[in-house]
Amino acid sequence: MVGKKKKKGSKTVVNIVLGIICVIWLLPTLGLFVSSFRPAADILQTGWWKVFPHQEWKAGDTIQLSKDVDLRGPIEVNGKTYTDDQLKAGVKADDSRLIWENRRARTVNSQEQGWKVKPDLTLDNYNNVLTGKEYKLKEADGSETIQKGTGLSQAFWNTLTIAVPATVIPVLIASFAAYAFAWLRFPGRKTLFVIIIAMLVIPIQVALIPVLKDYTALGLNGSYLGIWLAHTAFGLPLVTYFMYNFISQLPKDLFESAFMDGASHFTIFSKLILPLSVPALASIGIFQFLWVWNDYLVSLIFIGNQPSVQVMSMKIADLVGSRGNDWHLLTSAAFISMLMPLAIFFLLQKYFVRGLMGGSIKG
Amino acid sequence: MRFSITNDKGMYEKMKKVSGRTMSLALALCLSFSVMLSACGGGNNNNTAAATDPPAATNAATTDNNQASTDNASADTAGTPLELAMKGDYKGTKVTMFGPFVDADQVKFESSIKDFEAKTGIDIQYEGSKEFEATINIRVDGGNAPDIADFPQPGLLASIAKTGKVVDLTSVLDQAKLAANYNKSWLDMSTMDGKDGKIMAGIWNRSNVKSLVWYPKKQFDEAGYKVPETWDEMMALTEQIAKDGDPAWSIGIESGAATGWAATDWVENIMLRTTTPENYDKWVKGELSFTSPEVKNAVEVMSKIWLNKDYVYGGTKSIVTTAFGDAPKPMFENPPKAWFNLMGNFITSFFPETAKVDEDYDWFYLPSIDPQYGKPVLVAGDIYAMFNDRPEVRAVMEFFTTGESIKTWVQSGGVIAPMNDASLDWYSSESDRRMAKLVQDASTLRFDGSDLMPGKVGAGTFWKGMTDYVSGTATLDQALEQIQSGWKN
Repeated sequence: MVGKKKKKGSKTVVNIVLGIICVIWLLPTLGLFVSSFRPAADILQTGWWKVFPHQEWKAGDTIQLSKDVDLRGPIEVNGKTYTDDQLKAGVKADDSRLIWENRRARTVNSQEQGWKVKPDLTLDNYNNVLTGKEYKLKEADGSETIQKGTGLSQAFWNTLTIAVPATVIPVLIASFAAYAFAWLRFPGRKTLFVIIIAMLVIPIQVALIPVLKDYTALGLNGSYLGIWLAHTAFGLPLVTYFMYNFISQLPKDLFESAFMDGASHFTIFSKLILPLSVPALASIGIFQFLWVWNDYLVSLIFIGNQPSVQVMSMKIADLVGSRGNDWHLLTSAAFISMLMPLAIFFLLQKYFVRGLMGGSIKG
Repeated sequence: MRFSITNDKGMYEKMKKVSGRTMSLALALCLSFSVMLSACGGGNNNNTAAATDPPAATNAATTDNNQASTDNASADTAGTPLELAMKGDYKGTKVTMFGPFVDADQVKFESSIKDFEAKTGIDIQYEGSKEFEATINIRVDGGNAPDIADFPQPGLLASIAKTGKVVDLTSVLDQAKLAANYNKSWLDMSTMDGKDGKIMAGIWNRSNVKSLVWYPKKQFDEAGYKVPETWDEMMALTEQIAKDGDPAWSIGIESGAATGWAATDWVENIMLRTTTPENYDKWVKGELSFTSPEVKNAVEVMSKIWLNKDYVYGGTKSIVTTAFGDAPKPMFENPPKAWFNLMGNFITSFFPETAKVDEDYDWFYLPSIDPQYGKPVLVAGDIYAMFNDRPEVRAVMEFFTTGESIKTWVQSGGVIAPMNDASLDWYSSESDRRMAKLVQDASTLRFDGSDLMPGKVGAGTFWKGMTDYVSGTATLDQALEQIQSGWKN
């Protein structure tokens, strides 16, 4: 009884902690989501929570002061004296508050509280991001032409073209490698494996310039092949390590019986290993896909920013303009770019959980 | 984690037996895999490879070949590269270009070169990146330099020019023509230290004016204020507006990682108005210390506005937390909550779309402080440098020295052409036209100092020191010492 109660109690604690973590994670996301529907001026002025019904001060009676009131001295309103700073911040009195309405015209407003229910929302941010912004150009004769910018669709397909092969290639190669490291005996196996693990800690930044030099010599810069290879190479150590952990845990009796029946390594790999490691493949696939999808640095260096090859993350960065004047578009762009990874995650979610658990339970 | 798995011997031997077949299978798989890859990649490869191949060769050869090739060109009476290009000699060639402008600026740039591309058949492939400053070094070091790069900060170009990877334009472009088409200050600013002596590292294509005070014209006139002609008049007006009930200035220097740059424009403008241009140049080169009385005085003049809570919208504390792009917004409220904003002409892209130039807003020249220094104007701009020497690239570079190359951009507003052959009639607003005239008539033209200083100071301690000073975490002396320390390392 006592043990059970204790277990139940600790479960509640775990749930509360998880709940708090969830809120900490989700609240900013929710704020961003709400902001993506707000006009830029509103985002600057009030917090996102103001879209929900709330009480706010509403303009009431205007009190006209004498025009020659010295703002730096005490200011008399309705028989009471206030300072300028007080009137700037607003002075509460009963249900109303006194605040400058127009300091220049020397009018003070006595505001009352009221409910604001209907929020000002707009789809403009999404419109601008999805279908492209409009740019005004003036012609020689003074007439104005409006040029429509490009939306996200081209960048979306570019990113997909990069992300899918850049996920499939490393996962495939790593599975071969993991099988070899786990079940084949060859000289230098341990050394090679340690080298691969060691490569996990090398930051990719140190490789950028040397690799770029080689790419220039090979003419791979700005091509899809180049960036697939780059992502593959940068991703391989982790993916290999992950797949090795999984594949090495598979029961060896399976392979023995397969060998007895005369199966080759390739048959074993394709008929036994691959089907058995679907959960691991799915989870590392999600990791690699997310990494490639959100990548900015590798794309910036190896594929560049030409519209024909530009990826989403770079297109979104460009949306804000040379001097960041359209920062508010980032809100909606972030949500649009989030859709694809979310879809992949939910599609493969059940494998994902199994993949993470897989090694630990059987090991 | 187990690194070794013990299999029984029998299985191991069996594996050995079949390994021959497996090997060939695996090999076949790998081969077909790589064939598939190269087939997929091939299509895109061709587009870009052409442009990226030559740099290694040309970079090394430029310094030697420059002289020879120009001699040939001048001996050949056919004309300059631009004239040849206009005849269609370089039809079908590609010139790659890399620069920092994206989005609206990119559209404006592309529309201004469209005519040239159609006439000559040269395809200028412009690539814009928000990370230009970070990327250009990697590209140049990686041998993947664009044919032409657009530097918004000459300091950055100067550091690359030192490595000898920039083509010296002295022999590429006709110097007499350049001298006729540019103010001498511009040409002086494009001369930089190369690997072996001074070189002409680039040409100026678009410029910004940074000595402008923006104000809401309509309400300003209605309130009966008059545009100040001297610094004292401006301070008197500031006091007047404060008495009338508004803080006069809206100032914001927040800009993410670049917070503080807007403050440097103030200091530079005041420096030009309180000391000689020679002292300014020395200061920019690091010969005049930040702790010197000249610089200290400039910051003190600035502080008379900045540190007075009645003069600044939101008070001094809000300066550091207000984004430079949001600072002008209170000017467009009705009635305006602030009246003045000192900023370059690019700030108009942050103004509300409904506000009309010349009607709702306008600018006045930040007045002189000491009449003996005349009417100095602080400018910034983009310098185009050439990395690969090919005839069509020369033609494009020559094109960029003409006002024609920026005409449609000038018409759309937001940029000033530094070339003399750019007609004042092109400017579609009175505001822009006055700006262009201001630059042309300037008694002293000086480039934004923080863009010329080495990055550690101009984009480092200068920003940080000013931010610390304004936010109150450092005294003036501490801040200036901190800025000066950037020169040491």
